[in-house]
Order: sequence, then C-alpha cells, then structure tokens
Amino acid sequence: MGKKRRGPSLEELLERPWCYYCERDFDDLKILISHQKAKHFKCDNCNRRLNTAGGLSVHLSQVHKEQLTQVQNALPNRMGVDIEIFGMEGIPEDVLKAHRQRVASQFQQAELDRQHATGNPPTGASSGGQPTKKPKLEPVSDLKKRLAEHKARRAEALAGGSSGDVTPTSAVQSTPTPGGYAQSPPVAATPQYSYPQPYGGPPRCYSPVGGQQVPGGSPYTPTGYPSPYPAGLPAQPPVSYGAPPFPQQQPPPSDNRFTGLPAASNLPQRPAFAVPSVNAHEMQQMHMGHVPSPTPAAPGHSNGSSAQPTEHVSTPVDNQISGAANDVASKTEATSKPKKEKTKPAIRLVYNEDTLSPEEKMAQLPRYAYVPDRSTQTALGELPGNVIVGRIQESDTVLDTTH
Amino acid sequence: MTSHQFTVVSPPTDAISALKFSPDPNSARIVVSSWDKNVYLYDLRDENGKVGEGKLLQKFEHRAPVLDVCFGENENEIYTAGLDWDVRKIDLNTSEQTVLSSHEAGVRHVVYSREHNLVISASWDSTLHIHQPDAGANPDSQPIIVPLPSKPFSISATATKLIVAMASRALHIYDLKALALLTAQADTAAPNGTRVEVEPWQRRESSLKFMTRAVACMPDDAGYASSSIEGRVAVEWFDPSPESQARKYAFKCHRQTAEDGVDVVYPVNALAFHPVFGTFASGGGDGVVALWDGISKRRIRQYQKYQHSVSAVAFSASGQHLAIAVSPGFEDGHDEVPEGTVKIYVRELGETEAKGKGAK
Repeated sequence: MGKKRRGPSLEELLERPWCYYCERDFDDLKILISHQKAKHFKCDNCNRRLNTAGGLSVHLSQVHKEQLTQVQNALPNRMGVDIEIFGMEGIPEDVLKAHRQRVASQFQQAELDRQHATGNPPTGASSGGQPTKKPKLEPVSDLKKRLAEHKARRAEALAGGSSGDVTPTSAVQSTPTPGGYAQSPPVAATPQYSYPQPYGGPPRCYSPVGGQQVPGGSPYTPTGYPSPYPAGLPAQPPVSYGAPPFPQQQPPPSDNRFTGLPAASNLPQRPAFAVPSVNAHEMQQMHMGHVPSPTPAAPGHSNGSSAQPTEHVSTPVDNQISGAANDVASKTEATSKPKKEKTKPAIRLVYNEDTLSPEEKMAQLPRYAYVPDRSTQTALGELPGNVIVGRIQESDTVLDTTH
Repeated sequence: MTSHQFTVVSPPTDAISALKFSPDPNSARIVVSSWDKNVYLYDLRDENGKVGEGKLLQKFEHRAPVLDVCFGENENEIYTAGLDWDVRKIDLNTSEQTVLSSHEAGVRHVVYSREHNLVISASWDSTLHIHQPDAGANPDSQPIIVPLPSKPFSISATATKLIVAMASRALHIYDLKALALLTAQADTAAPNGTRVEVEPWQRRESSLKFMTRAVACMPDDAGYASSSIEGRVAVEWFDPSPESQARKYAFKCHRQTAEDGVDVVYPVNALAFHPVFGTFASGGGDGVVALWDGISKRRIRQYQKYQHSVSAVAFSASGQHLAIAVSPGFEDGHDEVPEGTVKIYVRELGETEAKGKGAK
C-alpha cells in the first residue's frame, strides 16, 4: 500500500487500442489511426496515406492501375484486404477476444515472472486483490484450454512413448491418471481423483493447480493466437464434463485460501518484522524517496516467514515454474543484454579524423595532386585566356541566345 | 506527396565539391564545382521555361580540382576556389577568368556577401582572404589576409555576419561590416596583400565534439546550424544573451544500425537553409537528405536514400527547388569513382514541402 505502482493494471492494458494488422498497442486511438495510415494504408507509389485498406485498394486501382493484394507490414494471417479496419473498428469478434486473452495471459506471465524475480508477493497481495482477481482472469475457457492441452500432451506422450519433461509438468495431479487422459470418458474421473486430494492434502492439491495455470497456459499464449483452442473446445464434448470440474475445483481453492492465506496474511505481521529493522535515519531516507536496505530485506522476510510453509509443500511444481520462469528470464536476458551493451559504446564512424577534413585527405591522393609552380605565377595574368579549355562552344551560343 | 525529382544532364565525371543556385529567384541556373577540375554551369529550364533535366551551358576548366564555387553580384559572375590555391572570378558572359588572389594552400571555400560586396575565401593555409571584387578594375588591388587560429573547414555568411568553422572545434563569427571597413582601408596596393589581425565579433567552441563538417546561416540572420563528421547537427543562435544561448541544441542524424547492432555514423556533409521557410536540409554520407525545422526541433521529412554519399545540397533562391549532389566515396576519397555514379538530383518542392510544422 502506498507503494509506487509498477506498471499498468490489466484493465488499463486491456483498454489500450491496438492495431489489428500488427498487434501493436498504442496510447490512444489517434496514434493508432495514424500508425495504421502510415504503416498499413500507405501507398508505396506516391506515399499517400489512406484511411482504410479499401480506400487504399480504390486509390491503387484508380490512380496507379494496380491491385491491392495484401496489407503491408501486417502479420501473416492478418494481411487480408477484405476486412475493413479503421482504428479499433471492424476487428472481428473472435480476433478481439483472442487479443484480450493474450494480453491477460501476458500480464499474468509478467506478474509471475516478476514475483519470481523479486521474490515479492504479487502486487496488491496485501489488499487481497490478486487472489480474487486471479480466478476471475482464469475463466472457463482458460481451464478448458489447459485441459485440451493436457489431453494433447497425454496423447502425445502416449504416442511418442512419453518423455521425461511431459509428465513432470502435470506433476502431482496427473500421476494417478496416466491412462485416464488418453480417452475422453475417464477425464470425468479426474475431478474425482482430485476430489479426495483437496481434503487429504489441501495445499498440495491447490498449489499445483494454481501453479499449473500459468506454465500450462504460457507455452501457448506467447505464440499469440489461443483462440483456436478455446473456440474449438466448446463445440466438442468436453463442454459437458468441462463444466463439472469448476464448481468442484473451485471450492477447494477457496478453502485452501483460508488455510493458505494465513500464510500469506502473515502480511500484517510483516511490518512487525520490518519496522524494527528500520531505524529513524533509514525511515527518513525512505520518506525522502530513497529505498535503502529495508526493501531488499522485505522479500527476505516474506520468504523466511510467510512463504516457507507453502513453498515447502509445493516445491516440485514451484521449482518447475521458477525453472520455466528462469528459462524465459535467462532467454530474454540473453537476447536483450548484449543489445544494450552494444548500442551504448558501439559506434562506428564512417569518417574519423581529428584535424584532417575529407577534402584534405582526398586532395592528398596522387590523382588530385597539384603543386602550384610559383615561377609561373607572374605569368598568371595572361594565363587565364589559355586556361579556358573546357569551354563548350555549342552551348555557349545557346547562352548567348538566352540573353 | 513526395516531390517530383529528376537528374541533371551531363553531370561532372568526378566527385562534386559544391553546388549553388543562382541568386535570382526567377532563374533556375546552378553552378557545380567538381574534383574533375571543372566548374559546370547548368540551366534547368528548357526553351519553354519549364524546369527539367536542364542543359549544360558552360564548363570552365581549372588547373586543379575545384573545391567551391559561388555566384557573385548577379548570375553572370561566379567565384571559384580550388586546389590550385587560387581564388578566381569568372565572367559567365565573356568566360573571362581573373585570379583575385592566391593562398598558400588549397582554398576550401569562397562566399560572396552581396550586402557588403565582398568575396571571402577560406584556405587550408589558415587564412581568410577578403576581396573587393569591384576593385577588379584596379588590377593591383590586393586582398586583406585575416589569419585564423586553425584550418577553416566551412564558412557561411548572412547579411551581417560571417561564420568560420575551423579545426580544433573553433568557430569564429565576424562582423561583415567591420571586415568591409578594414578591406576598404587596407586597399593600398601592398605587394602580397595586407595581413590584418581581426578580432572576431564572437569566438566560440563548437557544441559538437567531433570535427565540424559544415555550417550554414539562417536566412533571418538569427543563428546558424553546424554539422560534424559524427552524424550530428547543432542549431545555435548569434545572440549572446543567456536566454538565446539556452535555446541551442544538437541532435543525432544520418546514422544506421548495422546488422550486428553497431551504429554506423556518417558525416553530415552539407547543410542548406530554405530561403523562405527558414527550415534546413542536411545531406549525409549515408546518402540521405532530410529536411528539418530548426525552430520546432522537428524533422519535416527524409527523402529516400541515394546510392551514394550526399556531398552538397542547395535550395534555389525561390525555395521551389532543392538540388542534391551525390558522389561516391566522398568521405574516404579512396574509392575510385565509377562512371555514372556522380549525379545531381533536383527536387521540385511542393508548396509546403519544406515548411516547418509549427506554422509560423
């Protein structure tokens, strides 16, 4: 509370206008429209910027006698000319949905990455906003998607003779139902298996579920267009047994949250830890905007006290998550770091001399060499007449006529 | 939206060093000086007065590569400067050439001040020569010689001032009136010209860290732009008051990021102000010409890259045309110049094409 907000909230992210053709998002609609005009609706021949693909098509055919076949700079599957897009208008419903989903999952992924990177509790965890938000963000379609994904993996694992890394992802929950996923009927059994577990080992069951949500979703969501999965699923039978799991699964989480939250709701206690460690001076500094040792210490506290119980129980999954997160992090780091290092010092001057201008350098070339002969200088007065060798007679007459 | 562009016929055979439009707003004549030792005079208008690829009217051969050229009082006389150490006046009607003075090294620049009727040349012998060309009737008249602390790299004149950008990032601003007075007084026929130590109106250090490549004055006499070999342009004001000096700024341009992430930085070879709108064009070693609004600090537009380095840019007196000289290997001078690579492009500017965005 009272802390600086790290970034935009999910609502703000979802509000941002974005470009149908390239999935870029913008601060406001005006910028989006000018982006579209400049990037997607510009005529290559005359640089005229049209308002829509249709407008460009008409312009091309009328002015340049050309046919517009595709929208330039667009993603491969968005090049279609037939869809009339202007700003945010005209975007097909399914694409819109897919985009929202993608933004949401990216947001979650970022949140999770940050959690793992900093060791901090999720933003706003103290207010309890995060836990309530999460179930909302993971609506039916998400779970279904995961289910479908699971099935796909199961099938893949069965067909491909299974590999080490497939099973671990499904971790605790999947172990009892290795064959169960292969055919659809037994899927209905999964909730039954998971049923006892919530009561048997509350955190154990819940945290895998909670943990899996993201790693399960993440491999798919970054690829961009999750729409096929949720869209395809509802039409299939899974809907029927897709529904039961939720009411059944959701109560346990909420139960767990009460059992689990005390761990998280150590938070009220945390100040008790933290406060003594901040002396008056440091406090003052903090007020002045410096954030000294206390903050680094805070995650330590949360790790030490609150996170411990849950962490221990959920280590296998957690490790996987953090492993995956670290993977992603290290990958992004690997790609982004060298860039940063390069752009700063790496400047290559095409011409780099301190005192010698390019012309001087050029003048030193043998083909331009000229050393005035001082002895002839006295004769310079008469010389010019002879010097005009390059004068062009024909054009000279032209000159005369024009004057 | 992009302006119509054409190339000028029979361009020079070697790199272009300078390119200037006639001072007459109704004329479409350009003079071009080249490393092929010639000065070229073109008229872009055809018989019907339509501006097009034009024709070569005259060609004046020199003894050595010509580094600069400028029009004199009217479009019938030009001044040239070159590696033969001489400053010449050429009467275009009679093709008569007169050597105004000789430096002790190559002459990099020559400018003509219409207001004060002065021809000023800057040479690598670290001097300025100031001539009064109408004293040409008196063949014995000699220029005054103003010593400079370093080699001059670029000069530019307004109605009242002369800017000399030199090596070691030095920059002098002279008051032309004072120079004119001095020249008039010193016009006693001394054998080798009179050396006059002139205190510049202002001494400045370039705000750019690297070698100054070009300077150009604003047409409204308020300030100037300078460019360096390190893809950067600075805009500054003459007014020495702190408020005006606080307005000066510099920006990066003419750079490209190579595939390996290295920023390739090109020299900004040429600057030219638009005579009407006060915006300016920059031409770089990357072959790019960009138009800038120095007041609102914005780029107005950037033209499609040319195949080779841009060595000179010039606006016509009417502001309707922009001429661009393209020469290969201009920066290093080591490249051979293959035939057909030196080109002069002329752009017909749309009415507001070079107009600043922050409508004045």
